[in-house]
Amino acid sequence: MDTKVSLKTGEAKISEDWLAVVIGLFIFLLSLTAFINWDILGWVITTKVWTNLAMALKPTSGNYANLPGLLSLLITYLFLLVIFMVGAYWLKANLKKFVLGFTLVFFISYICWIIGGWAYIAATPNQLDNYGISWSLNLTLEAGYIIALLAGLFIGNFAPGFSRVMGEAIRPELYIKTAIVILGGFLGITAAEQLGLATSVMFRGLCAIVEAYLIYWALVYFIARKYFKFSREWAVPLASGISICGVSAAIATGSAIKARPVVPIMVSSLVVIFAVVELILLPFIAQNFLYNEPLVAGAWMGLAVKTDGAAVASGAITESLILTKALAEQGIQYQQGWIMATTTTVKVFIDVFIAVWAFILAWIWSAKIQRLPGEKIKARQMWDRFPKFILGYMFTFFVIILIGILLPNWVSQAKTAMGQGNVFRSIFFVMTFFTIGVVSNFRKLWQEGIGRLALVYVICLFGFIIWIGLLISWLFFNGVKPPVL
Amino acid sequence: MEEPKIHEELQKMAVEPLLPIEKKLITWSIVLGIVLIGILVWVSHTFFEV
Repeated sequence: MDTKVSLKTGEAKISEDWLAVVIGLFIFLLSLTAFINWDILGWVITTKVWTNLAMALKPTSGNYANLPGLLSLLITYLFLLVIFMVGAYWLKANLKKFVLGFTLVFFISYICWIIGGWAYIAATPNQLDNYGISWSLNLTLEAGYIIALLAGLFIGNFAPGFSRVMGEAIRPELYIKTAIVILGGFLGITAAEQLGLATSVMFRGLCAIVEAYLIYWALVYFIARKYFKFSREWAVPLASGISICGVSAAIATGSAIKARPVVPIMVSSLVVIFAVVELILLPFIAQNFLYNEPLVAGAWMGLAVKTDGAAVASGAITESLILTKALAEQGIQYQQGWIMATTTTVKVFIDVFIAVWAFILAWIWSAKIQRLPGEKIKARQMWDRFPKFILGYMFTFFVIILIGILLPNWVSQAKTAMGQGNVFRSIFFVMTFFTIGVVSNFRKLWQEGIGRLALVYVICLFGFIIWIGLLISWLFFNGVKPPVL
Repeated sequence: MEEPKIHEELQKMAVEPLLPIEKKLITWSIVLGIVLIGILVWVSHTFFEV
């Protein structure tokens, strides 16, 4: 999904990565005012499970209880519109088109989220009596994400004219990266309360991705080269796209071996399509078979689902589904946040290693394969390819975890602060789901010549990547459980 | 500018047999991966016990 965006922002003053850091940190800093008892974000809209539509929308903070839900929604929209308009200006986007596109993206996404909160869809078994209903699909509030994805898929595939109207604001990578920067603080406070478990999850996540890189990439590259006869220019982005982290890895490693830009872009179109398929299927498989091992499921989403947006989003859905199932079947109420934290940790480490892997490939290609006289690979190239939004994630994570460790009396304010920031994270998530759907053009599968590319993708992804990912996740995370409430 | 077509790009693709350096990269990567599984699983279960 980066491909469209990177083409759009060719003359931009700032990259989407840095813009995500700026917006994420701005919201993070505003939320920190909770430490001095300022409730300046309490008006932000939040969605509740509802049977009567009037119950669906409420401001986040009780201090704003008198603010009508619709007004809260409107203020939230205007607040985000202003922030993203500044971002769009820096990105040199067409501001008029951006405003129209953002408005449509925001409200369609939010309507999907409200629909997903209908009690017959979202209520968990222990909530049925509260809502006075006898059954529900038990999908939790995250059902709104799936509905947003389906709405996006419908528009992207059946109403291309309408999706073009929103085009300037169809930026799933920007929304998810901003969400991940904010998520850092929320996961930081979760980790601070269980430091031993958090350290263990981080170390195991690091181990899991080292394994994934070494085994996945080599296997896919071998199959693409040996059995499908792809040239090196095609096999490298294909192996990176299928095995590592989708679009960004395909582009980074493609440029490392000096592939023509068109090659990783074509590979990326497949990555996005199959990431959506994984996003729809894997969380439900995990709910059914891995509810006894929640963190195995979280790591599995990080290793198996390609692209940052789809992976972290699938972690969020998996968490909701597994927490509901564990409560219903076993009576165990796991603490929220750990499954998504595991997925995010794995994904963040994967992103960090894209730069390292691209550097290694650049060196091998330059020194052993292409052997261009006088060419030297500089360490700076690693920095150039480093996904910068991770710096924002690490900053918010470590600031909050340090506050949690060094100033235990401030933990409750930190929770309030990160809770408010997390509301924005949820809004960005639903916008990510919708926009992922819009950019996933399944008609590309019918494009002439794509069969060979799609075949190697399907064989590798569903043949072994998903299952090796599951095995690696199980080896490192089996027996590691989130705290029980 | 006209969007490049996948089948045209694939047709232009050169035939390139696997070089020894590529075989070495694949083999070392997988062998290292398998050896490290044992070591890292042991380290994580020994030093990062939950």
